[in-house]
Amino acid sequence: MKKILLVEDEKMLGLLYEEELTKEGYTVIVVHDADSAMEKVKSEKFDLIITDIRMPGKDGIELIASIMGMRKDIPIIINTAYQSYKDDFMTWAADAYIIKSSSLDELKDKIRELLKDK
Amino acid sequence: MIESYKLQPANFNPDTPKEFVLLSIIAQSFFQPFSLEDNLLVILTALTSGAGIGFNRAMLFLKDGEKLKATMWLGPRSPEEAEAIWSMLSSPGLGYAEIVEHNRDLVIRMMESLQPKLKSFIYSLEDDNLLLPALAAKKQEIMLVTEAQSDPLVDPNFLDFVQVDSFLCLPLVAHDEVMGEIVVDNGITHAPITRKDIELASLCALLAGNYIYTTHLYKKVVEMEKMAALGEMAAFVSHQLRNPIVAIGGFTQQLLKSPCNPEKCYRNLNIILDEIKHLEEIIYKLSHFLKIKIKELLPIDFKPILLGILERPDIKAKAKNKTISIRIADEAPLILCDPVYFEETVVNLLDNALDVTPPGGRVYLRACKKNKKWLTIIIKDSGPGLDKKSLEKMFSPFYTTKENGIGLGLLFVKRVMEMCGGKIEVQSKPGHGTMFKLYFKAQERGQP
Repeated sequence: MKKILLVEDEKMLGLLYEEELTKEGYTVIVVHDADSAMEKVKSEKFDLIITDIRMPGKDGIELIASIMGMRKDIPIIINTAYQSYKDDFMTWAADAYIIKSSSLDELKDKIRELLKDK
Repeated sequence: MIESYKLQPANFNPDTPKEFVLLSIIAQSFFQPFSLEDNLLVILTALTSGAGIGFNRAMLFLKDGEKLKATMWLGPRSPEEAEAIWSMLSSPGLGYAEIVEHNRDLVIRMMESLQPKLKSFIYSLEDDNLLLPALAAKKQEIMLVTEAQSDPLVDPNFLDFVQVDSFLCLPLVAHDEVMGEIVVDNGITHAPITRKDIELASLCALLAGNYIYTTHLYKKVVEMEKMAALGEMAAFVSHQLRNPIVAIGGFTQQLLKSPCNPEKCYRNLNIILDEIKHLEEIIYKLSHFLKIKIKELLPIDFKPILLGILERPDIKAKAKNKTISIRIADEAPLILCDPVYFEETVVNLLDNALDVTPPGGRVYLRACKKNKKWLTIIIKDSGPGLDKKSLEKMFSPFYTTKENGIGLGLLFVKRVMEMCGGKIEVQSKPGHGTMFKLYFKAQERGQP
């Protein structure tokens, strides 16, 4: 089973994504900040990482930079409420940039696409 | 011995040359809360009043896009009117504010009859066969025109309107860009325009050009600030409102799509309700924090307010297992603020301080008389302190380090402090906690 690390500071949204992605047949680990995400990446193996950008403490962009410095092979999806970070070149390092929506179809499609070759 | 003088002299020594007085008045007018039009009127007045350079009349053109448009004409229509104005303007003790006031009326009265005709003078600066007076602006040269009737470079319609044979064109230029033009003449007295007149008038034109330029720049800056604030606001709306909306939408879709056991239905509905409450809270805080209006600063006795804050249930609940150490200087003066906003300001900072202070830790609340002018209220926590990024961004709207924060609290505090004429200082170091110092204007008890 493919394993996804989800970084989302809003607890209820984390729950929603966890349930919906589990239903799709993935194993989902949810953390609420960048530091916990880094710990997980160091100790476990993931097939995909989904992260928000604006979070208390370290933001998603810093997280991406740290992960890229450690493991370049994990695909990363940015899942955020902000359109504006698209202009930040650091976000270009991610494999996809998705604006949060109450329909999770786009997110699900993107995950399927990125995990296809794995 | 030390003598002090006013920054902006109002009365001039009778020996001071009138040219100097004139330029001083123009320079001072830029510091008055006058509109662009009024300040340009000051310059037109300086050019035309008998106490100034003494031209009879002045016409102002302003650039609008690539067009030069006649906007204002100042001057008497007949020798009789001229005499009345000049004697009135040279009466002793008349300040330039009164002169401007008088001239504004004059312009308004004149404009009523002249407006339609005046407004018809619109010249395109891109016109290859541009005539005078506009040609001077295009060439960015001061041009003295004599024997105008026989000069093919002068617009006959313009001559027909002003009815003079010689006039002086003063382009208003700043940073190589044309801002407008002033045309002056002696249409009433028919006195010749001298070299000295031209030199002085050119100085006035220089000032006018720069003034228009600065006003445009200022407008642009204000607009940009507004746009930036709007951008921040839009970003806030998309993030803070989108998250609860996504949760509401997502959990609703779960209810609709999959067969739901009663337990999960109930859970989802509760989540939806909570998110809606969160949305309501955001909307309330937004309107509350951003609409700060202090109508009147009151001298307030802050001591009972501070003691009252410590009794508030919300603060008491947060202060469980923590100590708030309070010390208020004896004979503390009154401070100038609004009592409600003062309380909310302190509560905001105290709330933050309690949030970051670990159980068993202390929060310090101090009120010290700094000097005759200031009283400081200090709130210090025993939290982890702030890193550089948080210190830089702490007052930015919507920046928060709290999970459920919306990032308006410190902005609120800062704005309240600004509105009551005080200031705020922050000291913080990772590992050493954070200290907020609020400076309030002090007022001794028993003094008005």
